Amino acid sequence: MTTSNILSQLGSAGVSTGFKNRIINGAMVIDQRNSGGSVTIPTATSTYTLDRWFAYATVGSKFSVQQNAGSVTPPIGFTNYLGVTSLSAYSVGASETFDIQYRIEGYNTADLGWGTANAKTVTLSFQVYSSLTGSFGGSLYNSATNRWYPFSYTVSSANTWTPISITIAGDTSGTWVGATNGIGLGIIFSLGIGSSLSGPAGSWSGSSYLQPTGSVSVVGTNGATFYITGVQLEVGTTATNFDYRPYGTELALCQRYFYTASTTQLYSYIACGRNISTTQAQFLIQLPVPMRAIPSVTSAANSIGETVTGATGALSVTSDGSSTTISGVVCNYSTGSVTANAVGFIRTNNTTATPQFSAEL
Amino acid sequence: MYKIINQNTEFESIFFTNSNGSITSFPKDPANTDYQAYLKWLAEGNTPEAAS
Repeated sequence: MTTSNILSQLGSAGVSTGFKNRIINGAMVIDQRNSGGSVTIPTATSTYTLDRWFAYATVGSKFSVQQNAGSVTPPIGFTNYLGVTSLSAYSVGASETFDIQYRIEGYNTADLGWGTANAKTVTLSFQVYSSLTGSFGGSLYNSATNRWYPFSYTVSSANTWTPISITIAGDTSGTWVGATNGIGLGIIFSLGIGSSLSGPAGSWSGSSYLQPTGSVSVVGTNGATFYITGVQLEVGTTATNFDYRPYGTELALCQRYFYTASTTQLYSYIACGRNISTTQAQFLIQLPVPMRAIPSVTSAANSIGETVTGATGALSVTSDGSSTTISGVVCNYSTGSVTANAVGFIRTNNTTATPQFSAEL
Repeated sequence: MYKIINQNTEFESIFFTNSNGSITSFPKDPANTDYQAYLKWLAEGNTPEAAS
């Protein structure tokens, strides 16, 4: 038996030799932001939905994204999927885009050697289920968005899970981010992209081809559905079994990019620190894993309360936040006041208070 | 619209209000995408509200 035979056998047995699948949350299990709730994608804002997956729409309210939308039975071996539902019959303009996207950090693509003569071939595989049939499309791109590889795939039977496998020769040209925390590789799944941003499938181009010409437009049909799961990008020319990872591992991988101190418990303690004035207090929040970059912090107005006086406010990150494992935050109180120079504890002020830390690509 | 607030320390923070009323604050980290968007916004000739 040759080495390649052995490796092939290992792959088909589902044996992982490491970080085989470069896609985090490819099984669509983690949904920290929305906990299975539906998100209507707004105008021209990259909107993260399930962890690591974001959607973009030139015109807002044309589609929604929800974990397990429509409650169909996932493909064998999976429990979750990312579901897109078209909210109208929209005719996509020549320069308009409606899509879902995934970005891989440079540290996790540097070994591909793209942009060099030794660029490795990769295979993108996934399972897709749509109310529409035909030739769907998408594209791979680099950080500078000046290298594009449009790919197509066919869905022959409506409302049936269809396994897809696409092998892509690595790009030997262009500039690709190496071992950094920047965008190593981006993947677009088109839901409707205009003719000016479409081109021939199956080859690398310096033109902005976000999909093959003539791909199916999901947003073009009111109520159309597009569900996807089991997304895997791996080195090699064949798609091997999906690389299942432990839930805790997958969650931790997601938390490098996004973490929410989510709780449904009223008055959950978040951190302790010091009141630095009658209107502000400074805290350190331990993040579960080192984040990709110093995170942004989002909190609802007056969602954070001080335990002693009942003052309420929102969190903001300190601009020198030099650590990606501990976030220095200030709570700015907009109602009530606190005792300056006293030790302070902050807690959630309602059951939907969800301080969020984001370091997405 | 971006605003800059003093943190009553040696720090300052940049933040914006989201459509749902929540507040996002971000650091001056070149790898932070909110900061990248802010720099682009500044380059377009915009000016944040002054520190308060």
